[in-house]
Amino acid sequence: MLPRFTHVQPTSISDALRELAAPGARVLAGGTDLLGCLRDRAVTADKLVSLNALAELRGIREQGDGGLRIGALTTLTELATHPVVRARFGALSAAAAAAASPQLRNQGTLGGNLCQRPRCWYFRGDFPCARKGGDTCFAKEGENQLHAVFGGDVCVMVHPSDTAPALQSLDAKVRLISARGSRTIGIDALFVLPAKDHTRETVVEADEIVSDILLPPPPAGAVGAYRKIRARGVWDFAIVGAAVTLGLDKKSVRQARIVLSGVAPVPWRVAEAERLLVGHELSAPRIEQAATQASSGAAPLSANAYKVMLIRGAVAEALSDVMGAR
Amino acid sequence: MRESRIYTPEAIEDESLPGLPGANDDPLKPWDKTTVVGARVPRIDGQDRVGGTAVYTRDISLPGMLHGVIVRSPHAHAMVKRIDVTAARAMPGVHAIVTTESPEAKIPWTLTARGAMSQLFDPHCRYEGEEVAAVAAETLPQAADAARAIVVEYETLPAIVDYAAAAKPDAPKVHAAGNLPSPPRTTQRGNVDAAFATAAAVVERTYHTSCELHTPLETHGSVAQWDSGDLKVWDSTQGVYAVRAGLAQALKLPISSVRVASPYMGGGFGSKLELGKYTVIAAVLARLTGRAVKCVLTREESLRCVGNRPANTITVKVAAGKDGRLLAIDADLVGASGAYPTGAVSGYLMLDLYTCPNVRVRESSVLINAGQARAFRAPGYPQAAWALEQAIDELAAKLGIDPVELRLKNVPTVSQSRNGLPYSSTGLADCLRKGAESFDWSASRTRAASKSHIKRGVGVAAGMWGYGGEPRATVIAKLYPDGSLNINSGAADIGTGTKTVFAQVAAEELGIAVDRVHIEHADTGTTQYAPGSGGSQTVLVNTPAVRSAVAAVKQSVLALAAAELKKDVNTLSVRDGAIVIAGETRTVPFAALRSLAQAQQVVGVGQRAPHPTDKVALPFAAHFAEVEVNTRTGEVRVVRYVAAQDSGRVMNPLTFENQVLGGVTMGIGFALTEQRIMDGPTGKLASGSWHDYKIPTAMDFPFAFTWVSVDPQDKDCNSTGAKGLGEPATIPAAAAIANAVHDAIGRRMTDAPITPAAVVSALATTGRR
Repeated sequence: MLPRFTHVQPTSISDALRELAAPGARVLAGGTDLLGCLRDRAVTADKLVSLNALAELRGIREQGDGGLRIGALTTLTELATHPVVRARFGALSAAAAAAASPQLRNQGTLGGNLCQRPRCWYFRGDFPCARKGGDTCFAKEGENQLHAVFGGDVCVMVHPSDTAPALQSLDAKVRLISARGSRTIGIDALFVLPAKDHTRETVVEADEIVSDILLPPPPAGAVGAYRKIRARGVWDFAIVGAAVTLGLDKKSVRQARIVLSGVAPVPWRVAEAERLLVGHELSAPRIEQAATQASSGAAPLSANAYKVMLIRGAVAEALSDVMGAR
Repeated sequence: MRESRIYTPEAIEDESLPGLPGANDDPLKPWDKTTVVGARVPRIDGQDRVGGTAVYTRDISLPGMLHGVIVRSPHAHAMVKRIDVTAARAMPGVHAIVTTESPEAKIPWTLTARGAMSQLFDPHCRYEGEEVAAVAAETLPQAADAARAIVVEYETLPAIVDYAAAAKPDAPKVHAAGNLPSPPRTTQRGNVDAAFATAAAVVERTYHTSCELHTPLETHGSVAQWDSGDLKVWDSTQGVYAVRAGLAQALKLPISSVRVASPYMGGGFGSKLELGKYTVIAAVLARLTGRAVKCVLTREESLRCVGNRPANTITVKVAAGKDGRLLAIDADLVGASGAYPTGAVSGYLMLDLYTCPNVRVRESSVLINAGQARAFRAPGYPQAAWALEQAIDELAAKLGIDPVELRLKNVPTVSQSRNGLPYSSTGLADCLRKGAESFDWSASRTRAASKSHIKRGVGVAAGMWGYGGEPRATVIAKLYPDGSLNINSGAADIGTGTKTVFAQVAAEELGIAVDRVHIEHADTGTTQYAPGSGGSQTVLVNTPAVRSAVAAVKQSVLALAAAELKKDVNTLSVRDGAIVIAGETRTVPFAALRSLAQAQQVVGVGQRAPHPTDKVALPFAAHFAEVEVNTRTGEVRVVRYVAAQDSGRVMNPLTFENQVLGGVTMGIGFALTEQRIMDGPTGKLASGSWHDYKIPTAMDFPFAFTWVSVDPQDKDCNSTGAKGLGEPATIPAAAAIANAVHDAIGRRMTDAPITPAAVVSALATTGRR
């Protein structure tokens, strides 16, 4: 059962930001994550500030430079089906299409997908875990088959977003607004590793809203893919996923970005693997080499050593997809 | 309340119950030809179920009704030291609170031969979710808030959820008497050890299956209302009579003062065959407040507290001669009961699926600090099939015999567990042959191996269901002056479509349209006794009683017509809702019969006749699966499937297909996705949501799915020719998938579910295991 809270639906951004400045207020967009967190009592809220009357936060707009400005309330379904996103920002449309289920994609927003809370069963369950202010990461000694192999510290959760690694492969920026002003940061700066602060996943402050996601023009000869490995065919988070965006010049890779999901508390970029591709033809042996490199340095927990193999698999599949689609 | 009964072998006694008075009078001959039975008749309540007008237990709202919420132990093992309800009692809308300290707490629970093992609110909490208190309030949020405001102090105790560890002598004890509630049971025939010594081929392996949680779409719940000293309960249950008996016993009421109804039911799968604590709690709160009380569980409660398919560890050793005839099976089955005793394993398949002269089966169940195991669509059988059918597959490879051929060499014609009585029909051979033909088995087996990283494989597994049903049911049929018919039966339609099948049987027998039949069912106050809708017995137990009741109506209406029309009754018959007179073209509709109008109703009583004493009627199945295994990612997809079922007559192809499709889906969950995950140190549920407890979705079901009915027109089993279907449709499914995975990647996947982690880990091991 949901705890008690009040609900407001401001009709202007300035009203929304003012409402949000009150203590105990939380942003409500699609609600697919927040309502579950409230029901699970993983988070508390006195007031939900609905953004759903704010039309200016919706929609995908092409920019003069060939980039995109995506309103944070844009649904995952819109992203997955938008012709420009599909044609030029393939990793993003593929990631949006792979998220959740059709119903959830119709309701869930891009901003919400970036700001969603961890799916760790200790965080969502009735366990006083470190991320909820307790003193233990239960997963470290417990059921950690779905947990981090990179970047874990006082908390070994994995970031659950599919779109975040895709956006990072596209070098996206995020605009945050509050009554105090606005700021635009690179998406890699949005996420927070546990070593820095294990009680938050993003730098978004309580009074801030993610308003837009800004995509620069894709690299010349851009091709992209997102390969998500999951336990069932739909309605499941990534066990391991790989987002790739490449810039190709004929057969040769000029630019490469590979970002993993399901392996670390933040989207995890594997720069060494990218370097193995740049300047080379995308051949099967080259793909295997990069895929193997992507898993190097992984530090598995007691029950997730298999993720090292899945990282290789996901990267190899994503790069093979790109090679096939070229 | 009583110890949950796994359907074999004790339950075999149920099958031999004699008929009720009148059951053997003028037994009906099986139909030769049918027009309504066997037709694709859409569900008579389908519109209501999908349109939202069907009233389920949780939809019921009575004047002044209160809402009950249960306080549950957050610890897997703890002792309640103190409960403070002061704050909760003062909260708005709160009418009653009961706790471990209330007199009602002492109602005995989990009755065994050795007495009650627990009570309604037991201060000794033996699993996360065990009931310690409950609140009734005006609204559900008020009740929930008050429940959270109850302060319970616990002394936590060491908990054990690993059943292998729990079986060891130094393990924390779930009950003072220890974690092994009864000694292992050994069943054997022949001389197993001697047979192994002479065998041409022997295989032996240990298999593990995961605990699966019950997740019926409609969660468990009840509404209770008192009227003077009489109790009426609406309950989401498979068995209104079992719930009535349990309530009468728990509340010390005469059975005649308790009425239990289950008008619409949203799935049970075995978890709703017995009385639940929530029902007694609703009744207790209703009695204390003088108001009706509704108590419906949340999904979180349901995942912890309403039962599960227990995890099994099965070591099976199978031997055959060079000719492929099975010589010996030796099986050791251990299962996790949860916090209270339940038969957590079934070795029936080892004993009876194949002809085998030497068999030894050792069955044992272990207590752990977790929710109790319950009947779960073929209790114990899919686990046993997972082990046995993979062993047979391995044996076939060792002998160089095709797995279908090996099974065909060992098809039984008699029930070895029932003193060698012959089967009324043994469809197993036909299931294997027709299934293999439909699947194109031989060609599929010999297809060239894929060079890509995606490997294809095919597998087969067989199964049977060892319970023939409790042969006692009474049905009353009433024909009204307008020619419409009321069928009154105590059987719950748990979502399988049995109401529709009953209507078809009635329509067939009386020659009327299905839409002229109304089914009045599952209400102990107004309907007649039927056993619980479980064990795949609903259709085969009740439809003969339906038919018999309608046959009696037919006899009476023909007699009325004969007198009214001044004809010899032997010249009259029924068709299209009318009396047909031999040699005449005119027909007389029932609605035109003056004598029927004067009588107002014609009543027929039908009793289910006992099972034949010289034959055994049981259902069989053989399933064929094709999978794709991605060796990079460990993903397994079931891409093609054929389920061949011998369940006797196909009463309705639509409901039949629905049962097979559902059974295969559950098999896919068993094989690939479903797994209760407990946090070891705390004993608490980790996979406590529908995200973390993964039931398969439509996307996990193969597009190429075919069901094949082996319909031997069984004339001996009963008067409608139906055998059970719900359970045999799931028994071989997971094992067929595991065998297909082995065919694809050359690794024997002993542990269910076969996750991506399991596949890539198995592939990382060298060579063929």
